[in-house]
Amino acid sequence: MAKIDEVKAMVEAGKTKLVPGLVQEALDEGSAAKDILQGMVDSMSVVGDKFSTGEIFVPEMLMAAKAMAKGVDVLKPLMAGDSSNSLGTCIIGTVAGDLHDIGKNLVSMMIESAGFTMVDLGVDVPADRWIDAIKENQNVTLVACSGLLTTTMPALKEAVQTIKGSGLPGFKVIVGGAPVTQEFATEIGADGFAPDAGSAAVKAVELVKA
Amino acid sequence: MIIIGEKINGAIPSVAKAIAEKNADFIRNLAKIQTDAGANFIDVCASTDVSLEVETLKWLIDLVQEVTDTPICIDSPNEQAIVAAIPFCKRPGLINSVSGEGNKIDVIFPIIADTKWECVALLNDDSGISKTAEKRLEVFTNIMKRAKEFGIAPSRLHIDPLVEMLCTSEDGINMIVDVMKEIKQQYPAIHITGGCSNVSFNLPSRKLVNQAFLVLAMNAGMDSGIIDPTNQDLLGMIFATEALMGQDEYCMEYIGAFRESKFGQKK
Repeated sequence: MAKIDEVKAMVEAGKTKLVPGLVQEALDEGSAAKDILQGMVDSMSVVGDKFSTGEIFVPEMLMAAKAMAKGVDVLKPLMAGDSSNSLGTCIIGTVAGDLHDIGKNLVSMMIESAGFTMVDLGVDVPADRWIDAIKENQNVTLVACSGLLTTTMPALKEAVQTIKGSGLPGFKVIVGGAPVTQEFATEIGADGFAPDAGSAAVKAVELVKA
Repeated sequence: MIIIGEKINGAIPSVAKAIAEKNADFIRNLAKIQTDAGANFIDVCASTDVSLEVETLKWLIDLVQEVTDTPICIDSPNEQAIVAAIPFCKRPGLINSVSGEGNKIDVIFPIIADTKWECVALLNDDSGISKTAEKRLEVFTNIMKRAKEFGIAPSRLHIDPLVEMLCTSEDGINMIVDVMKEIKQQYPAIHITGGCSNVSFNLPSRKLVNQAFLVLAMNAGMDSGIIDPTNQDLLGMIFATEALMGQDEYCMEYIGAFRESKFGQKK
């Protein structure tokens, strides 16, 4: 098995202790950092799919994400300043009036493991705070808005429309949360939607690369 | 949790029958299913007449070692039989047991002193099983003094504080919990063991009492147990309790055991 395949297998298996060493070995073998990263992103999408179908449990997905994050740490110094290899910065938070953060934190870990730099605004984030964050951070390629209550769906709509209407360029908006559907996401003008943390990471990569 | 598989014991009627009929496959199977369920030691107890005990132990130990590398736990109330059975074992295992009674320690400790053998020690002495925590801890202190003399590290000892029947106890298992906590406080590396079924004698739906006991005892410091590892409810309870106690990062052990069908299977 090529080292890069071993990296992929161990990310899938959530072997946090083994992945960094294998990533280093893959680099020593001559694999490019961006190819190793892509391999891990592919593994995470497999993991995300397995989670979506109920084949694996949340902790197994989290361990895979952690394993990948450990691998990314090894690659980071090699990819610093080379923005073509990074997926950019993702601003994430839960919209105004909503204090739920378990799901949002899970999504944050997953998107981070896919190769994004995360900026977490926390919970109860008012619409204008999203705009400030997009302006304050470098290379924002994705904004992820979470809403867990039917009563905060209007706030989700307000957030997305404020962000989209700001005229700021260079990023996509993804939404999610228990009451959110693809129909609702489309209706409020979001670029993407994912039903769970695993598919959120896959969707995030897809949106930014599109 | 260190699991000592309890199924090969002549006190169990089906095992007594297998011993009497020299039914080797029956014994081999018990060794195998307990290993597959994750036992760390396979307890072997003859429960025969003293004149037959050593040869019976040899027959049982040989059969177990034919099918598994899991270390043996030599179980006998007779220290001479234990000493005689040690050479039958291919690798160091567990002695079950010594106590403050008679000359058990004088016979066993010198033999296992410079080995990797571990040892169960019961907290009773020549005056019997005490009703108070103080007295049991006194027995414990004496056992530890002797262990030190022979250079036996606390991590090689499994202390059995002797859980009694719940149905005749005046205050549940509180006294035993106090004993366990004090022992762990004094020697963090020591193991605390016990049977998980004695507690429910003479009560209906014993399984529930056994499981509840296991959880409370683990919370008090029990980290070794003489149990039936093929009992999925009990095994699942062990994994769940370890996770709840913060000993299982991200519940990966719990999930792993579930994936290996160690528990949670449709009956």
